[in-house]
Amino acid sequence: MSGHSPIPGLFFSLLTPSATRFGPRLGNVLLKRDEQTEIQIQTPSYLASTSRGVIPHLSRDHYASSGIRWVNIPFESFLDVLPPVPTLVDGKNSLHTFLGYSLGQHVVSMAVRDPADGREMPPNGNAHVAAYSLRGVRKVTPTEWKSYVYSCKPDIVFALADIPLTHPPYSQKRLTKSIERSASWLASLISPLPNNKYRPSVLVHMAGTTSVPARRAFAESLIEKLFGPEAETIKPLQTLDQGVTGYTFDLIPIRLSLEAAEKRHQDPFYPPAESIPPTPPPTIDSAPTPLSEVNLDPTIPAHTDQLSPLLQASLEPLSTTKLRLVNSVQTPHEILRLISSVGIDIFDAHWAQRAGDVGVALDFTFPAPSSHSPALKARENNKLDIGHNLYCSSYTHDFSAFGSASCGCRACSPVAPATRIYHGVDDPSFSGESSTIPSQAPAEPRVKPSFSRAYAHHLLHTHEMSAHSLLVLHNLSVLDQFFGGIRTLLQDRPEKWDQEVKRFEEIYDEELKVFEEARVMWRDVDLARGKGRLVREKAKQEEGTLGTAVEL
Amino acid sequence: MQFEVIAKCKTTKARVSRMTLSHGVTMLPTFMPVATQAAIKGLTPEQVESLGVTLILNNTYHLNLRPGLKVLNEVGGAHKFQGWERNLLTDSGGFQLVSLSKFTTITEEGALFASPFTGEPTMLTPEESISIQHAIGADIIMQLDDVVSSLTTGPRVEEAMERSVRWLDRCTAHHEQSGKKDRQNLFAIVQGGLDPGLRDRCLDAMIQRKNDVAGYAIGGLSGGEEKDTFWRIIKQCADKLPEDRPRYSMGIGFAEDLLVCVALGVDMADCVFPTRTARFGVALTHSGPLNLKLNKHARDFDPIDKNCPCPTCSGKTSRAILHHTTTHETSAAHAITLHNITFQAQVMGRARAAIIAGTFPEYLRKFFSDYFGDAGYPEWCVNALRSVGVDLLEGKDLKLIPGSGAKWEYSDAS
Ligand SMILES: [Zn+2]
Ligand SMILES: [Zn+2]
Repeated sequence: MSGHSPIPGLFFSLLTPSATRFGPRLGNVLLKRDEQTEIQIQTPSYLASTSRGVIPHLSRDHYASSGIRWVNIPFESFLDVLPPVPTLVDGKNSLHTFLGYSLGQHVVSMAVRDPADGREMPPNGNAHVAAYSLRGVRKVTPTEWKSYVYSCKPDIVFALADIPLTHPPYSQKRLTKSIERSASWLASLISPLPNNKYRPSVLVHMAGTTSVPARRAFAESLIEKLFGPEAETIKPLQTLDQGVTGYTFDLIPIRLSLEAAEKRHQDPFYPPAESIPPTPPPTIDSAPTPLSEVNLDPTIPAHTDQLSPLLQASLEPLSTTKLRLVNSVQTPHEILRLISSVGIDIFDAHWAQRAGDVGVALDFTFPAPSSHSPALKARENNKLDIGHNLYCSSYTHDFSAFGSASCGCRACSPVAPATRIYHGVDDPSFSGESSTIPSQAPAEPRVKPSFSRAYAHHLLHTHEMSAHSLLVLHNLSVLDQFFGGIRTLLQDRPEKWDQEVKRFEEIYDEELKVFEEARVMWRDVDLARGKGRLVREKAKQEEGTLGTAVEL
Repeated sequence: MQFEVIAKCKTTKARVSRMTLSHGVTMLPTFMPVATQAAIKGLTPEQVESLGVTLILNNTYHLNLRPGLKVLNEVGGAHKFQGWERNLLTDSGGFQLVSLSKFTTITEEGALFASPFTGEPTMLTPEESISIQHAIGADIIMQLDDVVSSLTTGPRVEEAMERSVRWLDRCTAHHEQSGKKDRQNLFAIVQGGLDPGLRDRCLDAMIQRKNDVAGYAIGGLSGGEEKDTFWRIIKQCADKLPEDRPRYSMGIGFAEDLLVCVALGVDMADCVFPTRTARFGVALTHSGPLNLKLNKHARDFDPIDKNCPCPTCSGKTSRAILHHTTTHETSAAHAITLHNITFQAQVMGRARAAIIAGTFPEYLRKFFSDYFGDAGYPEWCVNALRSVGVDLLEGKDLKLIPGSGAKWEYSDAS
């Protein structure tokens, strides 16, 4: 692909022209870092979510062996002490350097807020977004955001957007404000800084929440030719859209707003905004635990069917050739539907990583297997789980690998270390042991037997952190293979797409009962370990939704 | 087991040996990281092996509860269960029984305790302990001993010591007839509390049984006794134990304790300290522990130790990002654990190299000087090392710190 683009930068190209504006599509994200280094991500694909800048449960040496190509950094955790510490790092790749991502493997994007955090927040202002740090709410202005971006130089940046996270529903006035602010903040980010070689690749959050007219209006404002002082700001660009690499959709605020509208519709006395505190809906009724107030994973109803028209309304006026990204997708079924009906290119992996937090090993493929895998639990609706709740005692004696299919992750295919550190008088000249067969070096790495479900079950019940490391490695690998399956089908037999999506939906349970059950058991094991641990777990879940608390 | 002493320090009692077990060679002296529940906190066995660790410890009491013997038998032992291909040591389960279970009573038959699952009275006999350890399949297994706190005084200490000798005989008999002797090596545990007379009697009795045991542990310490007493007991035991058997000091993990024990003739030690302290954000370094939670590290872009070969330091993970994530993200615990295990291995590896090179006394002096700086040395270390001919204070004018003298970075003020 060299010669594809002579200058450094991030480029998205469609490999197959999509049959329709919103149909499934194959694409390629190319990051050309410099003469020697480029990263390619075939789409549809995923990005890994982070917490406090790191991929929860993975060591840096696992970053390289995992298939992760894109990590997104919510920047707000660095706002507790100003200036934010990543802005103080020297060099032209300060985020990569500081956070340990590889220049040759990882595209690093930066957003002010964690898109998975749907907690109610103080309202944004005309010139600030309310963000959340460990020490409380922080205001971030467009100017500050731009300066953080230019200091940290991420490969991709999410423009500051006015996403209302006060209590929905929102008035038309509020939506108009949201649109105007988002457009103006985008303009401020893409206006070039003089004497600066760095040009951020910008993704814009498509404003308008659940209003089709508002969404369309925002999209149209992107392609309008600007005049007057606004035009001056973004010169030499003529429209905002010219400064944008792609479009992004955070689903949580949309779902919250849809949910509020539905409740309002069902109940005319549904309290209006500001009058009630946010009570997250209960997760499971059958939970045997009395601690109903400890709701670590509030479930927001998906409202998937209502999403597509909204996303389409935003994309309708815009060019089809730019990247389309969705944050906080909840199920693989939803991924397939958003590929089918909207043509989304990148999805966040938050849900699959969170599954690793609560003890679920994912086990599904696309296309779905032709014969039912007996290893998976079938539900009352006759559908199979998309994974295994390894807390469940049925795995105590199950020595098979996490997934049914072969998997190259470091949990299913651990690789014996090719080298080790010597500390003094322990090298082969003293120990007499051959150093991993030097005659064959660099030999094929030796793959060891898989870690078993029984082992992960044991680690979960004994509260060993290694359980989550193994599960996250595995789940991201399953997700990677899932997207690989999607791309292969779109490449080789696109005519089969609709049929295979339907078959997937028929075979696998979308209600994710296995996740619910795992969350209950995860909480109960925590309870058994004592209150201190649970309190920290709760705090951890409030500060960011990925990862589990460190057991002290 | 093959055990060969390959070098001895000309001044102290320190020695370097090669211990060959079923899962490879471990060079001694060594520190064993503790994988209580068949995992080193957050790490994979591949990561642990790549740090140069060749011997880890699993706890019998815990593995017997979970995953339980049925699982371990089905899978073919703890090595396979956790994917660990190097050497493994298990304790007898007795220590945990006494420290974790309030209602344990010791009889001549064994330790009677309430099952943590059912509350039923359950008996752990010496034979049962060995059988459990056979199922786990560790390369080194421990006799069941009658554990009393090192603060216990009076006739109970003598009773426990004598019972431990009788239980050793039951363990060796049971081990003998198991057919596992070629792959699993039984260690005796010297008891006798803080009473030199009792320790001597225990040593005599256990040394008589040398042909039945592969090595000796020094038990009944690290339970809050005075450090000055601690080192004298270690010295007494190490002096008397046979040359041609490894000596294992249980529950020792601070760097200064390790080096004193090595100088007194100890070959192996274990402790949860380096992995536990990592979770709280404490990184061990050759110039003393660093508490990465402290704000003074928030903007420090240096790694924990520029010269450290661990993945965390060689990968240039900064103190600042560790400060940002420590106690919040498990990956911070992983990163510091990787470092701390490497640090322990380095302390011991440099000791081995110095013993071979004939420079062990110089290494001790340099280590203490780097580690404690001008803050003063623990008095007990100075006394212990003087007893084997090394004067830490040679050419120095430093104050001596009474008590345990462990070095900690407590607050932002330090
Ligand atoms: Zn896997
Ligand atoms: Zn290190």
